[in-house]
Formats: sequence, C-alpha cells, structure tokens
Amino acid sequence: MIRLGLRLAVTGGRAAIARLALVGGAVALGVALLLAVFAGINAVQSQNLRYAWLNSAVTEAATGTEAADAAGWALREDYFAGRRMARVDVAVTGPDSPVPPGMTRLPAPGEYYVSPALASLLASTPADQLGDRFPGRQVGVIGDAGLASPDSLIAVVGRTPQEVAGIIGATKITRIVSVSPQDCSGCYVGVGSDGITLILSVVAAALLFPLLMFIGTATRLAAARREQRFAAMRLVGATPRQITLIATVESTLAAAAGTLLGFALFPLLRLGLDRITFTGERFFLGDLSLTWFNVLLVGAGVPLGAAVAARAALRRVRITPLGVARRVTPRPPRAWRLLPVAAGLCELAWFIDRRPRTTNGQTEAYLGGIFLTMIGLVVAGPYLTMAGSRVLARLARRPATLIAGRRLADDPRAGFRAVSGLMLALFVTSVATGVITSIVAYRGETPVGTATYDNLSIGWYPDHGGKLPAADTPIPAGLTTTPGVRDVLVVRYQGIVGNLPTGAIGCADLTRHPDLGQCPPGAQVGAVYADLSRPDFGSDVYEASPMTLAQLPSLPVNSFVVLTDGSRAALEHSRTLLESTFPDGRFPSTENEWRSDFARTLVQFQRLADVVIVASLVIAGCSLAVSLAGGINERKRPFALLRLTGVRLAELRRVITLESAVPLLAVSAVAIAAGFTAAALFLRSQLDYDLKPPGLSYYVLVGLGLAVSLGLIASTMPLLRRVTGPQQARND
Amino acid sequence: MSAALEARGVALSFGETPALRGADLIVETGEIVAVMGPSGSGKSTLLHCLAGILVPDAGEIHALGRRIDNLNEAERSELRRDRFGFVFQFGQLVPELTAEENVALPLLLGGVRREPALRRAREWFGRLGIDGLERRRSGELSGGQAQRVALARGLVGEPAVLFADEPTGALDSFTGEQVMDLLVDSARRQGATVVLVTHEARVAAYADREIMVRDGRVTSPAVAS
Repeated sequence: MIRLGLRLAVTGGRAAIARLALVGGAVALGVALLLAVFAGINAVQSQNLRYAWLNSAVTEAATGTEAADAAGWALREDYFAGRRMARVDVAVTGPDSPVPPGMTRLPAPGEYYVSPALASLLASTPADQLGDRFPGRQVGVIGDAGLASPDSLIAVVGRTPQEVAGIIGATKITRIVSVSPQDCSGCYVGVGSDGITLILSVVAAALLFPLLMFIGTATRLAAARREQRFAAMRLVGATPRQITLIATVESTLAAAAGTLLGFALFPLLRLGLDRITFTGERFFLGDLSLTWFNVLLVGAGVPLGAAVAARAALRRVRITPLGVARRVTPRPPRAWRLLPVAAGLCELAWFIDRRPRTTNGQTEAYLGGIFLTMIGLVVAGPYLTMAGSRVLARLARRPATLIAGRRLADDPRAGFRAVSGLMLALFVTSVATGVITSIVAYRGETPVGTATYDNLSIGWYPDHGGKLPAADTPIPAGLTTTPGVRDVLVVRYQGIVGNLPTGAIGCADLTRHPDLGQCPPGAQVGAVYADLSRPDFGSDVYEASPMTLAQLPSLPVNSFVVLTDGSRAALEHSRTLLESTFPDGRFPSTENEWRSDFARTLVQFQRLADVVIVASLVIAGCSLAVSLAGGINERKRPFALLRLTGVRLAELRRVITLESAVPLLAVSAVAIAAGFTAAALFLRSQLDYDLKPPGLSYYVLVGLGLAVSLGLIASTMPLLRRVTGPQQARND
Repeated sequence: MSAALEARGVALSFGETPALRGADLIVETGEIVAVMGPSGSGKSTLLHCLAGILVPDAGEIHALGRRIDNLNEAERSELRRDRFGFVFQFGQLVPELTAEENVALPLLLGGVRREPALRRAREWFGRLGIDGLERRRSGELSGGQAQRVALARGLVGEPAVLFADEPTGALDSFTGEQVMDLLVDSARRQGATVVLVTHEARVAAYADREIMVRDGRVTSPAVAS
C-alpha cells in the first residue's frame, strides 16, 4: 500500500508533480526558516558565552582553575564614533596570571592587545582621536575566542598593579569567568539572551504561522481531484484505513523532500543571517550553527508533523465510494470568536497603571496579551469574514457580488484562511513598528546639532565609587582650543541636597548656552546633573542650587562638559584628551551614546521586523495565490457551465476578485487597527509613552504588500480563462 | 436458483428527503436485472444499498447469503473489493494511474502483488478489445475506451455480483451497445449476477428481467417470475 501511495504521489502527472513541488517548496522554506531561527538562538547563546571573560571581575562566578598569581583587573566602557568599546586594564603580578581567551599572555605595563576591528580603526584613525588613549604599544591582536563578534572593539591594556588599583571598579582576579552571563548572578556584560530568545521565538511564530497556512493551502490545492480519486478507490474496495495510509504517504513524501531541500537552503540563509545584528553585534558565522538535537527535531519532526496533519485533515472529511462528504456541515462561526481578541486587548489595557514589578512579570503580561490578541485575530477572522460577506451579499446589485458574498458566507473559514497569513504579518508589523517607532522617538539617537549628540562629559560620582577631582583641577590643556570645541563647562559637586541633582553650575554658563536649559529666575547657581542632561519632566528650567556663586570654585569637580560642534574629530579628540588626563575614572561619553545603545538595538529589531514582514508577506502572498488557483480549479466545471450559459468572463473575474479582495482588505484593516491598539496599550502601560505615527517605510511596506497581494489575485485571471473553457463542461 | 441479493423493506432518507421507502427486491444468482425508473425515483440509491455503499435507515440487505447492512465500513469495503464489481457512468477511474493499473487496483488493494495483479489486468484488455491502451491514463482515453477499462476493472476480481449504474449514460448509442454486449457477455461467462441501473429501454433489454422503481419503492416484479 505504501508503494501504491508513493506511485500515486510521484507519477500522478503534471498536477501531482506540481502539488508535490508546491508542498515540498513550502516545507523547504519553512524548514530553512526554522533552522535559521534555531541557529539564531544558538548564536545568541554562543555570543553570550563569548562575553563571559569580560565578567571576570565577578570573582564568585569564576569556576576555572585558579592561577597562582592574581591579576589586577578593571573593565570600563568607552566609545568611538558612537560605537561601544570595552577596555580592560590589567596588571600582571607574576608569571602565572590568569589569561583571557584569545590571548597567549596578559600584556605587561606599556603593552596592549586589541581586537582586529579596533586594530584596523587604530590604523586608520589619527592617534590624537583614538590611539593616544592606550599607553604603550600594541603587542598583539585578540583571537576570535576572546571576541563576541568580528566587529567587537576590545582593548586589553597592561598597567602596573598600582595603576590598576587606582582605577574605578578595579579588583584582583585569579580566574577567568567562563560561565555564560545568563547563568551568572552579578555578571553584567552580555546580552539579555532570554529576551532575545523570546523575541526570536515570536519571530519564528510570526514566520511559521503564514508558512503553515501556505503548506495547508498548498496541500488543499486540487483537493477535489485528489478526493475524487480516493472516492474511486473506495468504490472498488479500498478501506478508510488504506485511503488514510495512501494520503499520509503522499504528504510525508512531500514533507520529507521539502525537509531535505530546507536543509540545503539553510546554508544560504545563514550567510545572510550573520549580517542581521539581533544583539547589536554581528555573529561569527560559526556560531550560527545547529545542534544535533535541532537537526533531529526538524529532520524527523517536520515529516512526522506532516503525516499527522494529513491524517487530521482526512478526519475532517468522509470519503465514501460516491464522493466526499464533510463529516459535519460546518456551522457558521459564532460571535464568541470575537472574545479572545477582545480579551487580549483588555488584558493589555488592564496593565495600564498596574505594570508588573519584575521583568519576567512584564514579559509574561505584555507578550501574553499580544499573543492572545494575535491568536484572537485568527479565531475571529472567519466570523469577521462571514459578517462582511453577509453585508456584501445583502447589498449586492450585481450577480458577481452576490455569488462572491454567498460563497464567502457559505465557507468563511476557507475565505479567511487564504488571507490569514497576511493578516498576522500585518499585525506583527504594526505592533513592532508602533512600539519601536515610539520608543525611538522618545529615547532614540539624536542628530548632530543637538546637545545630547554634541556634548561630551566626563563625570565623577562618589556614590558609585568615584573619587572627585579637587576643586582646583584645571580643564585639560588644549581642550578648549581643540577645533570644533565651542566651550568647556565645569560642573561642581554640591553633594546630596534633598532631592536635587548633585551638580551645580553658574547660571551665567547656562545663559551662554540656552540649549542646555535655564536657571529659575533670580537664581545664581542651578542644580544640574553632571552630564548637563535636561531637567526632569520635560521642563527647560533647572531648580536653583542652595550654593552661592562665590562657593562654587571651592567645590570639587563633578564633571567637565565639552560642548562641541558634533564633528567626529572634535568629539574623539576631546575624548582622547580627557581619557589621557583622567585615566582612572569613568570614560567620557555623550548622552546620545549611552542612551542610544538601547535605541540602536531597537532599530536592529525594527530591521528584523522588516525582514519578517517582507518574508511573511511573500509567503502569505504565495498562499493567497495558491488558494485562489485552487478555488478556481475546484469550481472550473460550474464556472465553465456558467460561461456556456452566457455569463461573461469579466463577470467571473469580478467574482474571484471580490472573493479575495474583500477579506484581504477587511482583515488588513482589522489587523492594523489591532496591532496599533496593542502597541499603544503596551507603550502606555510599560513606558508611559504615547503611540507615535510610524515612518514612511511602514506605509510603503504595507502598501507594497497589499499591492503585491492584489497583483497576485490579478495574476490568477488567465487561469480562469483557461480552465473555464467549454471542454470543462464535459462529463468525462 | 438461490438469491444473490435481497432487499427487505429498505428505507433511506437524505436529510428530510426520503429516497427509499420500504423497497423490496430479490435478485437470483446469475440473473441480470435492470432497475428502471424516472429521475429521482431512488433506483441508484437502491443499487448503492444493495452494494453496501450506503447503509439503509431501516430494512435489511442480504448479499451472497449474508446480511450486509449491519457490517462496519471496513467489512463492507472488503466485500466490495472481493465479491462485487462496479461500472458507473463516469468519474470512476483514478486519473493518476494508467489504464492497466486502474484495472489492477482492486487486486492491489486486496493484497495481490504488483506483477501478478498487472498480469491478470492485462488479460482483460484483449478480451474487451482495448489492446494497446494499457499504459494510457484516463485523460487519454475516449469515453467508450474508459468505460471498457472500467468494465475490466469491475470484472478482474471475478466478482459474484456486478453493479452497473448507467454504464452507457455518457456514451453514444453505438459505443453504448458495444459496452453492453461486452458487459453482458463477460458477466454471463463468469456466471456473475448483474444489477443494472438505467433509464434507457434499449439498455434494459439486455437484462433477464426489468424492475421499476417509483417514489422509493419497487413497483413491478420484485421477484423473478
């Protein structure tokens, strides 16, 4: 019987081969994407593990062999041209100091190792903008084992034990941490891999759902013909079990072929995947790999799943010797189908002003609500399609509208199925775009010409272990005369006074630079943050400091704020000068640099969302085209008979167009509305932000997606002419 | 003669619409019976009940000495495969299979190995005058050729009963007569009982006996006289 099933699957003429190719192709695409997601998740884990050694200051997390000689160790964050850089100052105390991966030894005082990406920057950048930050000479390049990404900017700088001991946050280590940051309490360098894994899982779901719909639609293509064949076999005595076996063999064969093809496609996808920086940094290609468990899971699971799906699909129909009967007449969808989507949105609304305290609680609350809304849309889809089609039939003035309305109302599930993938793609995109656009608008990168971009500050924070420079510490020589530097302001440390910021600045300085904010009327000294970031609550006016102007020069320095023209040369020269002058504290940064890390990650996710939407739209579009072709094929005889009785082809075209375009446009509107509502509720609840309108790219993407879908509908029209010719009216 | 088929008070409705309302019929072994009647009279439904394709709502069906209306789906499938043959008006060939594979299908489903099944199937091509069509698919056959292939498939398992529902309905009169000649001749040679549903008098003329079905009941001789 299995041989017969195989024979039927592969030698059933052009239609059977086309069906096999279509299902196989859909499965191949699904398998390749699934493997890509697994590889992505594995890469995030691998990359995180690569960060482990940078957490070596968390001595209690170290598990490796203990070195005989402790090493001085101080990790700090630095920037170059907006890119984050890790700098570790180390001090060797003996021949057996612990050595990080990718290096053969720790650098001695006056030596340093750098990552390959930093080495090439050093070679191409004037020393006064970068190289002068590192005392001594470069003695080597850190190997891949010590890098999180090929683009990582890392420097390991050798200093004397005394020098390292004076650096903020310095410690002594005897072991290198090799535990992944996600498994290490207190480790702070690394990526939030749980969150990324969760996001990649959502991405997988967003991609896989349209794909499953596509596979389902492709499997159903020419179902009428297949079912007719099964009925003929039942007539001559095939038992239901034999029919199920034959159908299962067919589906499994297609899925197995597709799975093999998917594995062949994966390496191509992998090449593109290493360019998408989910974590903010590129992956090493080798990290984008699969485990044996992944391979087994997909290799065996997909064909097995196809076999189960084929059995399940046949359970829904009863193939009798006289033809195919639905096991039960599908009842029209009921209004309860609207409940899950309403519940999802209500859940999100409920958390406004009730934001869960923990990250896990927030993840569960918000992703739970968004997931529920997503599932709710799929559940509600057939009901909405039916409601829309009934209105269409009631208002119909032309036969085409009536036929389309009645057909959709008769089987709204089938009508919706064709566009469900598209709907989910639009929902996911709308949520992602709504959330990301709004967060970037509030917290994103700022352009040159704004204070947050142009102003570099170096600060000392006694409550975070920093030692404040003395009151008479001068502005580093040459800083004010650096080309592109407009001014250098000194913020003094007034200490903790009530709830005021700890910094103090003369109001005359602020008056010279009104873009930094203002003192309240009559005040001589303003209470400011060390980096001169804007006052809280969106106000332009700082609170007055209790200090007098005369007291200011005697207060220790809290920070130097360098106002530049935003040029790279001015910023990096100033930074290098400040770092050379104050080598032991926190490194200077602009407000834009430290706050845009998060926004940049979001922009990466926006890119990922764009990739998802394009892939989903393509898959959903294919699904729609296949579904339309299948629908035309199934009804070729009645359509041919209608043509014989004088119905014009244009009228039939109108039927097909209405049948597809009405649910397409209706569910698109619902999906977009639900997506932005969910995004708005999340933003309000989690971040207290308002939803900002999406950028032009969103409209272009959605417009293109819908246009392509309508184009696909149009592309099936030649098929309609071909298959509804008079020969189809024959009883053969 | 003993009864090959017997229907006793068979009733069957499709939803609210009654198709058979207490039909009684006895078909003797080796007999060729033509079931006639106007459209919608229930003649095809009666054939489907006699063949175990449909299960009546009420009444009993006996075939080849055993009650079949209370058999389960698999048992009725096996009965159709092993003891019955079928020739219908159209749509009965599996389009993906070649003509010889279509003929061999009941044997393959019954567990006969491929080569012997195909060998037995090929023998019928010569007998029915369709030599050379063995490798063709249903779409490459004319109506008459397809019907002969269907007849070969109906007879390849040497059935005890051959059910034919409008076997010439889609054929011109000349081809129809050829098919009927072959059907009756082959059935008689095998000693098979034939139940032939038709609305054409010239087709019914091939039968030993004609019965009439009206409004779901057998109205003229239900039993051979």
